Amino acid sequence: MALIQVEHLSKTYKKGDNKIYALRNINFDIQEGEYVSIVGKSGSGKSTLLNLLGGMDTSAEGGVYYNGKNLLTMSEKELSYHRKFTVGMIFQSFNLIPSRTAIDNVKLPLIFSNYPIMLRETRACELLYNMGLYNRALHYPSELSGGEAQRVAIARALANKPKVILADEPTGNLDTATSAEIIGLLKMFNEKHKITIIMVTHDKETAHKVSHKTILLSDGEIIKITSNRNQ
Amino acid sequence: MKISDIILLAADNLKRNVFRTVLTAFGVAVGIGSLSSMISLGKGVSTNISKQMESNDLFTGLTMSSRSIDFDGSSNKTILSDEKKETVPLTDSILNEIRSWEEVATAFAEQIKPATIKLEGKSAVTNIKAIPLEMSSFYPFNKINPGSFYSSESEPSVILSKIVLDKMGITSSLDSLIGQNIEIITRVFDLDKIDLITSKKKQLPVKNDTTILKIKGIVQTSSFSAGIFNDGIFLPPLTCSFIPSIDLRNVYDIINGEQGKYGKCNTVHVRVKDFSMLKTVKLRIEDKGFSVFSIGDKLEDFEKIFFMLDTVLAVIGSIALIISVFGIVNTLIMAIYERRKEIGIMKSLGATARQIKFIFYFEAAIIGFVGGVFGVLCGKLVSQVSGNIANSQLGNFIDSNIEYFAFSWEIVFFSILFSVAVSILASIYPADKASKIDPLNALRRE
Repeated sequence: MALIQVEHLSKTYKKGDNKIYALRNINFDIQEGEYVSIVGKSGSGKSTLLNLLGGMDTSAEGGVYYNGKNLLTMSEKELSYHRKFTVGMIFQSFNLIPSRTAIDNVKLPLIFSNYPIMLRETRACELLYNMGLYNRALHYPSELSGGEAQRVAIARALANKPKVILADEPTGNLDTATSAEIIGLLKMFNEKHKITIIMVTHDKETAHKVSHKTILLSDGEIIKITSNRNQ
Repeated sequence: MKISDIILLAADNLKRNVFRTVLTAFGVAVGIGSLSSMISLGKGVSTNISKQMESNDLFTGLTMSSRSIDFDGSSNKTILSDEKKETVPLTDSILNEIRSWEEVATAFAEQIKPATIKLEGKSAVTNIKAIPLEMSSFYPFNKINPGSFYSSESEPSVILSKIVLDKMGITSSLDSLIGQNIEIITRVFDLDKIDLITSKKKQLPVKNDTTILKIKGIVQTSSFSAGIFNDGIFLPPLTCSFIPSIDLRNVYDIINGEQGKYGKCNTVHVRVKDFSMLKTVKLRIEDKGFSVFSIGDKLEDFEKIFFMLDTVLAVIGSIALIISVFGIVNTLIMAIYERRKEIGIMKSLGATARQIKFIFYFEAAIIGFVGGVFGVLCGKLVSQVSGNIANSQLGNFIDSNIEYFAFSWEIVFFSILFSVAVSILASIYPADKASKIDPLNALRRE
């Protein structure tokens, strides 16, 4: 059974009397441990789809099933649980809390998940160490480079050991070298820890290079799903 | 999420905008300061009045009268109820019977005579009052200084009230007055002058009579002592009865042709052994047909008045606190707007609406706690200073140092608790608003 099943997923906006489709009849499956890229132009519905997969948005028709449970019908509490333990989110603009140091940002999901207090520091240090940021642990986001900030965000997303990482244009604000570094990190986690990665990106070339599956979206519809089983 | 986590998160958030937090907490401190000082003022005033009354034996004393006098104030004027019911005369046998009651410490007939007193060449018009030996253990006679109470019912000595000395303008040291002679000049009938009246010369048939007695002690009363002991000079009953003076009540009897109808005296002062016995003694005396007045009897009325005073002062004190509540609401709403994205991030990381709410409740609680602690400290400081000023300004009128503000630990504890509770209440709306923030919308606004 697929880890994620998206069935007849549609999302509409109302503009005056007109109904505009942000997503129209989307169907696909994602297996556990897959690296999936969602590509398309701006406004094609990539981020909308990712938000629905992350349980950040539930106002849509159809179904987004995780292990058979539909996110769109979950209660607020169940959605919080989903965001806490099932998925980890990475954003283009990093979304680190500026008033908290790198280590405190990584500890934040551990606080919400009731992770044992004594072990939080160790867990956060371990994650930052794996990201090569051990020496930047006590720095504030404003003192970090873009690549460092995104690595802190990845560490934070991995804190509660989620099955899935949802990355919304994670390299959008980074230079080519740093982008490659971040993509490499995600690929490493996917291969080494079998974490499912769903990444939204503009960059078709990178998507094809790293993903097992690429979903091409245009005007809210799936144009093509490409499998790269050799990845 | 553990409580310690919520406290740390809340404290972190408050630390980020220290100036605003301090200003909000200052608002709460002003509110709690005014509330706690007002409550302590109310408590202080009521406690002090009660204490003063108690130490002045006002709650163990009652006054009985042969005439029914409306002390309850159901009408504004004193009613002599001769026409309403038969008056029972206050006789020696009644007095002796009351004295024999187990609950009664002493009972004595009021014997007051108007007189002019002369000492060190200065004089004043006052009253001489007979006070029995048993009264030596009651206020104010248990606090005679300098000197002492007389030791027999016929000792030719007097106890002087400090008020009378002040009235006379005597400035020499009180110690030097002990043992000095005092002249007591009373008015007596002059039978020789009665002829003069018949010869139509307008001159009263009275003359002066001078008695010389020794000063045995000086008594200083507080403003709360019973009227009879406040002013005048006090003598042993027998000594007092030997001083000749026109008894106006006798004249009243003679005019009415009903000599002795009202007994030997108008009023009897009774002291019970304990406040708890007051009601029983009062009922027994009333059963005998006499009117009784006691301040202790009015204790419930006093308590009602004190409760009202406390309530009014608490309401006045709460006004500043209510204003500070708006400060908390404002601070937290500002925080929501500023931390909208942060709340969105927290929700995207799995924070529940309840956890977001609790972070805001605790922020308010911390403001309330800090404001409460500083408020209580400010309240204590202000009340201390105000109390000192009041004592220094009123010291001339009130002879003892009064603690106007009763700042008890209960007031401290409940003020801080109230401050925290009110702050949490004030945070309900902002916390609810914060918990409902849509993470998607919050993260979109960059």
